[in-house]
Amino acid sequence: MAVRFEGVSYRYPGGSGVFDVDLEIADGELLAVIGPSGSGKSTLLKLLAGFLQPDAGRIWIDGRDATRDPPQARGLGVVPQFYALFPHMSVAENVAYPLKVRGVPRQERLARAREALARVGLPAQAERTPGSLSGGQQQRVALARALVFGPSALLLDEPLSALDAALRVGLRDEIRRVQREAGVATLHITHDQEEALSIADRVAVVLDGRLAQVDRPTALYDHPVDTRVARFVGEANLLPGVVVAEGLVETRLGNLRCATGTAAAGQPVTLLIRPESLDPHPPADAANRLRGSLGRDRFLGASRRYDLTLPGGLLLGETLFRGPIDEVAIPPEAIRLLPPAPPTDIGEAT
Amino acid sequence: MRGVTFLYLLYLGAPIVLLVVGSFGESWTNSLLPSGLTLRWYEEVFADPSFRRAFETSLLVAGAACALGALIGLPLAYAINASARRGVAAAARIATLLPIAAPELVLAFGLILAFSSDVAPWLGSTWLLIAAHVVLTLPYLTGTLLTDMRHLGLEQQELAAASLGAGFLQRARDVVLPALRHSLMTGLVTVAAISIGEFQVSNLIAGFLNRTYPVVLLQAFYGATGFACAATVVLLALALLAAAGGAATGRLARVS
Repeated sequence: MAVRFEGVSYRYPGGSGVFDVDLEIADGELLAVIGPSGSGKSTLLKLLAGFLQPDAGRIWIDGRDATRDPPQARGLGVVPQFYALFPHMSVAENVAYPLKVRGVPRQERLARAREALARVGLPAQAERTPGSLSGGQQQRVALARALVFGPSALLLDEPLSALDAALRVGLRDEIRRVQREAGVATLHITHDQEEALSIADRVAVVLDGRLAQVDRPTALYDHPVDTRVARFVGEANLLPGVVVAEGLVETRLGNLRCATGTAAAGQPVTLLIRPESLDPHPPADAANRLRGSLGRDRFLGASRRYDLTLPGGLLLGETLFRGPIDEVAIPPEAIRLLPPAPPTDIGEAT
Repeated sequence: MRGVTFLYLLYLGAPIVLLVVGSFGESWTNSLLPSGLTLRWYEEVFADPSFRRAFETSLLVAGAACALGALIGLPLAYAINASARRGVAAAARIATLLPIAAPELVLAFGLILAFSSDVAPWLGSTWLLIAAHVVLTLPYLTGTLLTDMRHLGLEQQELAAASLGAGFLQRARDVVLPALRHSLMTGLVTVAAISIGEFQVSNLIAGFLNRTYPVVLLQAFYGATGFACAATVVLLALALLAAAGGAATGRLARVS
């Protein structure tokens, strides 16, 4: 393992922080950490980078206990949120800086910096100053600077948050490509779920300073461990209900057919139904057909998001279908059963 | 709008222009402008040993205030900016601003009380004068540096440098000093300008042989108008010279 958090806790004076974190990042793996503002995701990065010292637990880097090492002794490449390029140095000097502090001769380090800049698509910008570059270019320079010295791990602190939406999509693929080529373990902090799901090997969800779930993106989306994760990752219809019999759950929208697994009759559950799984134009023999009236109807270009008002409440749907909607069907296999309420202790990572 | 700007510039510039004109005038009594043309007043100012000595003292005091200010102000501002505890940073800021908040006379009387005893009999010494000027000007230097540190996000740059492998001294040499070179220069120019023009404290604590130029200048106004004008123009030139010296000190600090 390139990086390992072992029972790490850090508490800020106000009481927030991160608690009992056990987390590993394998060589070459990209682990994205997502969570609401103030959940503690950036604290994880600061602890790993050495900007904060944990109150408890250990941090291992390349099999070495680095818990008390200062940042400069950890050998990590950090890309800060606003890049923190040195304005008085040229782009090439910025990228060459980690090599300078390691005593690499000037000619060699500048040559390696130019190679690194070529890898991020900026071979012609070497002599410019950071201030003359666009936000996206500065982000790439920061990435090249963080990778040029062959770090043990790459730490990305919301590197795309300062960029506009159109640029973000292109650059996140660029980050993934460069990270794969470098084969470096990466901790990617982001508040953008789509960004995390699209480029990460695994995603960790941090809620209230604790790891709620660590899983592959598809597993996280399809099988969240509880309603909090389901609500945070993607859009979700969450319906409280009670298992009536095997394969049947009573909800405020009516009885719905779905796989109930080991849940016994009478057991309270929450049903997770993703909006895109609703069928707005169901065949006559479809299960779980529900009639209602169309509420808010938003055309998003690639898709359409709508609210269907039912006697028992609202259902959020998403579809490519352009026709009128007054009925939906919920395929039983698209319904997931979750515990009825968030567990009181979610410290254990999965 | 242009008219207002012109009038404002006229208001600012007229006294200086009149001083320069008056310093070259032969005679100036009960008239709008002086009559005649002469260099006599400048010759008299430069020939006067008390003015010459005061000129040198002012240059020495301003130069020393710049050098000591840079040596003290830069680490002080850095420490305040880097202070993890908000209360400590706020207290340090208030402490550095006190010399501005308190009237200069208070500082002067304090210095007289503290340094006129047998235990510390340094009232009238050049070093006490320099120390007083450092105290008076330090808030302006640290204020300029702190504003620039926050504006540049120096803390983030330092964290980035640390994560890239740079130790404290490397960061200071490669990141902190180069990033602050402009504000250091600006701050030192301010220090030099304030030091050169400072009158109240210097008038009370300077000894007879190390009076600064503004203190000696006061005498000029008891004599001929041309002499007073010439002596004042010299002070103006001295302020410009000190400002240039301050800028040069900043450049030296950046290079080192």
